[in-house]
Amino acid sequence: MNLLFGLSPFLAVGVGALLLMLAEAFGKPNVAPGVETTDAGAGRAGELALGAAVILVIGAVLSVAVWVAGPESLPELTQVAPHLVIDKFTLFFSFTLCVGGALAALLAGGYLPEHGIDRSEFFPLLLLSTVGAMALSAAGDLLTLFVALETMSLGVYSLIGLRRGSPRAAEAALKYFLLGSFAAAIMLFGLALLYGATGHTDLAGIGAAVRSIGSPGSTVSAGKILISLVLVLVGLAFKVSAVPFHQWTPDAYEGAPTPAATYMAVAVKSAAFAVLLRVLLVGFGDERLASWGAGWPPALAVLAVLSMTVANLVAGRQESVKRMLAYSSIAHAGYALVGVVAAMRSPEAVSAVAFYLLAYTVSTAGAFGALILCGSRGAEAVSYEDLAGVGKRHPAAALAFSLFLFSLAGLPPTAGFFGKLYVFRTAIDSGLYTLAILGLVNSVIGAYYYLRVMVYLYMREPAPGAPRAVTMRSGFVATALVAAAIFVLLLGMAPGFTLDMASGAALTAR
Amino acid sequence: MSAFGHVLEHYVLVATLIFGIGCVGFLVRRNVLVQLMSIELMLNAVNLALVAYDREQGAGSTGQTFAFFVIAVAAAEVAVGLAIILAFYRLRGTVDGDVADTLRH
Amino acid sequence: MSELVQVYLPMFLVFAVGAAIVAVFWLGGHYLGPKNPNPEKLQPYECGNDSDGARGVRMSVKFYLTAILFVVFDIEAVFIYPWAVLFKGLGWTGFLTMLAFIAALLVALAYCWKKGALEWES
Repeated sequence: MNLLFGLSPFLAVGVGALLLMLAEAFGKPNVAPGVETTDAGAGRAGELALGAAVILVIGAVLSVAVWVAGPESLPELTQVAPHLVIDKFTLFFSFTLCVGGALAALLAGGYLPEHGIDRSEFFPLLLLSTVGAMALSAAGDLLTLFVALETMSLGVYSLIGLRRGSPRAAEAALKYFLLGSFAAAIMLFGLALLYGATGHTDLAGIGAAVRSIGSPGSTVSAGKILISLVLVLVGLAFKVSAVPFHQWTPDAYEGAPTPAATYMAVAVKSAAFAVLLRVLLVGFGDERLASWGAGWPPALAVLAVLSMTVANLVAGRQESVKRMLAYSSIAHAGYALVGVVAAMRSPEAVSAVAFYLLAYTVSTAGAFGALILCGSRGAEAVSYEDLAGVGKRHPAAALAFSLFLFSLAGLPPTAGFFGKLYVFRTAIDSGLYTLAILGLVNSVIGAYYYLRVMVYLYMREPAPGAPRAVTMRSGFVATALVAAAIFVLLLGMAPGFTLDMASGAALTAR
Repeated sequence: MSAFGHVLEHYVLVATLIFGIGCVGFLVRRNVLVQLMSIELMLNAVNLALVAYDREQGAGSTGQTFAFFVIAVAAAEVAVGLAIILAFYRLRGTVDGDVADTLRH
Repeated sequence: MSELVQVYLPMFLVFAVGAAIVAVFWLGGHYLGPKNPNPEKLQPYECGNDSDGARGVRMSVKFYLTAILFVVFDIEAVFIYPWAVLFKGLGWTGFLTMLAFIAALLVALAYCWKKGALEWES
């Protein structure tokens, strides 16, 4: 019984996904009389979105419940370890993932019908992909790691390509699929090598074997460990879209339906960071590999600096707001990587990254949602010009958009401010002054392109005669925006409670 | 080292070579179907390495189990991948990856 | 070195015998067979219509869907066989786990069925 309770967040979303699949296939299509359709899901995006959101909210609530009950007081959970490691770290991330997924589901409930994308498969796919993401954050074994990563990714590839008949969507899905599978294969080779070198597939066993290098009697080859570390890092850097493994990101986000892009930006990235932290700290957490002189911290520091700098410089030159948000997500991967590097020295850095990703999830989902709200049938708001004058025409949408942009830029009193504060503070505590300063400088540069959107929202009028995007009305999108806004303000004004939760999520590295 | 030990290196060498062929195939070829096949080749090379390592470890059969899961995942990956390629082919009438460039402009 | 030869000799023997058989038949046919080419014989088909159109046959996309569904479901046997072999040792936990696995597969099958992926016509 305790086992079921401990696994309940995963079971709720997993079983919920299967039930929603059946509901999608066996329900009655909701179409105008006289219209013939063989698609049982036709016209039912609303109810399925509601179902998906409810299931994910239940998952989030159960994550909190298990967190409060304390996974360490449930000894039965060791039965599923190391394949699934249910600790506070896992539960914090599964909460973040469920929130991100639920926001994406709500956005899709408004977006898909508005833009005539009658593909109700979106919702079961979203849930199945979220199960994969949650399992990824819990993966304490290379086998679960790979299977969960692919479960998450296969769902996302399909979500991107859902808009049939759109060459851009097909192209985005194709690119992401090919590059994603290639990266996964490279990572898998690293995993196989790791197994070959250590004889273990569980991260704890690998960690012990790695620590034994150099001690008499150890047969573990340091060269193989280093090669596999590089291969695994390449695979995960691709999933978190860190420069230079980021080229697919803007294309995939632009071609995907906006709610699918939202899901990729928040859930895929958070889950990939969760597994990155666990692999590095548990598997490669030994003194030599997790030090500034050698091992992964300097490599990740380079990725972090590149991601922040390149993404910020390119984001400012984008004409499409969606592409700008894509580059912004790359920059945020860079900020979070600063926290991952700091995690080599301080356990608090793990909590800082966890908190940062929750703040990033609600802010990014909100920003994408506000962008969805600014467009309507046939005319998605894409460019900055489309947003001109929205502040007068639809003050609520503009206000919400501004709030989320403030949070992404890291200005108080929003979630993003505290997220950046904690990450940079742990970096300074760990003696990584250069990284922290570069992060701060980049945050200032980043503020430029976020504020540019607000200039268009409030200070520009649409050119006379230019086609203007009409804002849409949707209870789903509005609900998602309100929920995200509450999170952003709550985390920004009273971060104490969530921070306490996050600090429980620290992984013990050594 | 077990009697298998000397031979293990050969299996791993072959696996690495096949993996390299897949890698180069993916990077060099422009036909997306061939690229997909290259990825499958890479996954199967990993399977070979996994089974060889499993034999070397002796106890347990973790590596073989891992290979089973890789096979199943590869099948699912092909299913999704072919569906995406099919959608692309229907819209563009080609499977040449170089045609996929509308998103940059 | 002798160990290597011992391990790989049978494999190379199989390769060598295979190559030798192919070579004998191919070269034998090439050098020993009588050749009297004439225009009739050089046609792709000696009787019937001249061939026309592109090489290869376009397969209907229906085959793709059926084949992929077959592969995806067929692969799951990979998990069921080892389970069957170890059935007695795994006890009730193993039984219930496999039941859950098969239930998930059944949901997928029902989904395919209802969505019409198994219909051959139309």
